[in-house]
Amino acid sequence: MLHKKRLFGLLTILMVLAIVLSGCAKGKATATEINLNLGTEPPTADPALATDTTSVQVDELLFLGLTDFDDKTLEVIPELATEWSVSDDGLTWTFKMRKDVYWVKYEPGKKPKKMRKVTAHDVVYGVKRTLNPETASDYAYVDYIIKNAEKVNTGELKDLDAVGVRAVDDYTVEFTLEQAAGYFPGIAGMWVNRPQPQEAIEEFGDKWTEPGNIWVNGPYLLETWEHENRMVMVKNPYYYDAKNVSIEKINWAMVVEASTAFAMYENGELDVAAVPLDDMDRVKADPQLSKELYIAPMLCTYYYGFNVTKPPFDNVKVRQAFSYALDRQKLIDTVLKGGQKPAKTFACPGIFGSPAEDPNFEGITFDPAKAKQLLAEAGYPDGKGLPEITLMFNTSEGHQKIAQFAQQSWKENLGVEVKLANQEWKVYLKTITEDAPQIWRLGWCADYPDENNWVLEVFHPTKGANRCKWNPDDPAAKRFMEVVEKAAASSDPAERKKLYFEAEKILCVDQAIIIPLYYYTRVVCTKPYVKRTYAPLGGEHIDKWTVEPH
Amino acid sequence: MARYIVRRLLWMIPVLFFISIVTFALAHAVPGGPFDREKPLPAEIVANLNKYYGLDQPLWKQYTDYIGLTRNPAGEFAGVLEGKFGPSYSSRSRTVNDIFRDHLPVSATLGLAALAIAVGMGVPLGVLAALKQNTFWDYLSMAVAIFGVSVPVIVLGPLFILIFALTLHWFPVAGWGRPSQMVMPSFALGLGSSAIIARLTRASMLQVIREDYIRTARAKGLSERMVIIRHALKNAFIPVATILGPMFAALVTGTFVTEQIFAIPGMGKYFITSITNRDYPVVMGTILLYAVFLVLANLVVDITYAFLDPRIQYE
Repeated sequence: MLHKKRLFGLLTILMVLAIVLSGCAKGKATATEINLNLGTEPPTADPALATDTTSVQVDELLFLGLTDFDDKTLEVIPELATEWSVSDDGLTWTFKMRKDVYWVKYEPGKKPKKMRKVTAHDVVYGVKRTLNPETASDYAYVDYIIKNAEKVNTGELKDLDAVGVRAVDDYTVEFTLEQAAGYFPGIAGMWVNRPQPQEAIEEFGDKWTEPGNIWVNGPYLLETWEHENRMVMVKNPYYYDAKNVSIEKINWAMVVEASTAFAMYENGELDVAAVPLDDMDRVKADPQLSKELYIAPMLCTYYYGFNVTKPPFDNVKVRQAFSYALDRQKLIDTVLKGGQKPAKTFACPGIFGSPAEDPNFEGITFDPAKAKQLLAEAGYPDGKGLPEITLMFNTSEGHQKIAQFAQQSWKENLGVEVKLANQEWKVYLKTITEDAPQIWRLGWCADYPDENNWVLEVFHPTKGANRCKWNPDDPAAKRFMEVVEKAAASSDPAERKKLYFEAEKILCVDQAIIIPLYYYTRVVCTKPYVKRTYAPLGGEHIDKWTVEPH
Repeated sequence: MARYIVRRLLWMIPVLFFISIVTFALAHAVPGGPFDREKPLPAEIVANLNKYYGLDQPLWKQYTDYIGLTRNPAGEFAGVLEGKFGPSYSSRSRTVNDIFRDHLPVSATLGLAALAIAVGMGVPLGVLAALKQNTFWDYLSMAVAIFGVSVPVIVLGPLFILIFALTLHWFPVAGWGRPSQMVMPSFALGLGSSAIIARLTRASMLQVIREDYIRTARAKGLSERMVIIRHALKNAFIPVATILGPMFAALVTGTFVTEQIFAIPGMGKYFITSITNRDYPVVMGTILLYAVFLVLANLVVDITYAFLDPRIQYE
């Protein structure tokens, strides 16, 4: 009898457990909720300090910028600003702002509270706070185009008010630049230049971005932030366009492991997930998942750089030969498999001024015969007489595979043995900045979709990092500098395009300072009940998405 | 005994001091700094950041500031001695204390659950294998143990997800906060340790049950259960207790792979990412935390010896 009782008790416990556990198994979302993955803990939600895509995603939903980028055309569109104009000399930009945007404070459990209107003074405060050396903002340098910004940020000028930004009236903000810059409206809307709430920042210091402390003005409010675990955002009822925001609640997970996130997607715990490389073939073959798959472009380029001071790459023909000898399409088809696009320019398609899709821009494409010929002309027929060559990359399985592909290609097409070496990320960065090996790898993603952010900010021999060690006195380098500087100062789009065409040609073809390999893509699966947009610059506009009942 | 414990606790001070110096020196000796980026920051910004975090100070001063022996650039004593473990360079709004507060309880919960599974499964398996030596039960127990030792969490975790979440739908794939989310990671983590405990228990039991005093116990007419639990297991448990100390410290302070696979907001991640990010205060904080747990766990193990084996006495 006792035995039976025990058994009965045990069975009851098991049944209760089974019911509880099966109830917990699936996160159920109503039609106005969405479950997404941030991918990692956002290092910050402070717009002045954000540097990474995760933080930028959070800021995109919480804070409005003067301008934004259209997800489809990548054109600069109004957000907080309704219109803008530039003076004849191209130095003064004036932005008129909306008058119906509020700062909202939300203490979870209480009703969201309208604090006050967002004004031009908040923009001025935000820009100055970013540039204040005490803020130590990583990304302050993108504002160096603003008058005195660099001097203030570097401490050369102590007066913060010397920065070329002022509120003409409560809803008009004016920027004065160091030199004309046609791309400035894009910069004006970047996260570092978003209006920031002085009262909250002064009251809570570094903790002002925590739920309950934070003031926001975007489409969503921050309800929960359990660090490393989850974040919850709810619709801002006082957002000026709230009637067009369909999703009421965003549940953000912070799952780092791509395979785990994808398993959660398959189990219905996430509505959107990136597809891990290892699952790609399976997803493509699956009748349902393949329909949910989308390959979206990203504004990023993967490239190999040369150290042009180290033989044999001090010879332009050797550099060109190495570039001609790589079959980028084969790399994509056999190694990467993510629908990437072969690259012939540094700046990818979608960047203003990039000749990537210009039929007149030939670029360097796979041509083993020409590669051999160039190597012979350089004095190394069939690779004979070449010194030892090293290709270095930062330790990662992905980079290793690409490097092995390149190593094999150069062996097959040029008869050259290339040694591979790898280092841990930070050690690697130090190595390639101080004394780069003959060939090294890096990638570059757009901060704003303009060639200036690419050719000038990365490869200008004196203004960029110059990891290629390109001699600024070299006639080609001189021409390159002249062209990119002229393009930066010009406000004539046609002229700028022409100049960037030339700059890319010098960089990737004539001088072959780098080998552009491929333009990145993002491979994601989205549940069929989610109607969404894709933001090539990062910072998804979830306020424009909808979730159908499911 | 009390004097012994006090003496051991006092010994912790120089030990931790030594560990902090070595960790600090090693962390700073590694090439690369916290503000090296793919998009290199202008020298001025790096200077601003270095100043903000006091990294522009001489190295010895940075150390004494960290410990709290000298005033930091802000003019205050705010170091480990004051209970402040410094900022995190990779997340401005959080300090190392915040990281401990938010993530240590998570890791500790997971670690303790895993440890309970490890002991709860490992000891009975080991005892069973020893008592039924060279029978089916022995082979089965040891097969389970060898599986546990040789299949790492990185394989076991995704395997569990595939079977119990995606196929059987018993548990959610990952995450933390609900009891159902704790089951798979605790088992994935505990299984490996249970295998080690099982093998150790078996070996130790085999040795003990051949001792004279077991024969004496049996000769006295004690029940087999009493012989095994009171006499054999208690003595066989000494080597097991020895490894439980470090095992406890390792499990409770965070386990990187398990936490990554199951998306658990524990401490494990910080041991790895702080080093790759050159986030010096977090490196120091995590290592010191681990050291404290290890020293304390070993102390508890040493005290346990005295209860397990009356021959061991502490002056």
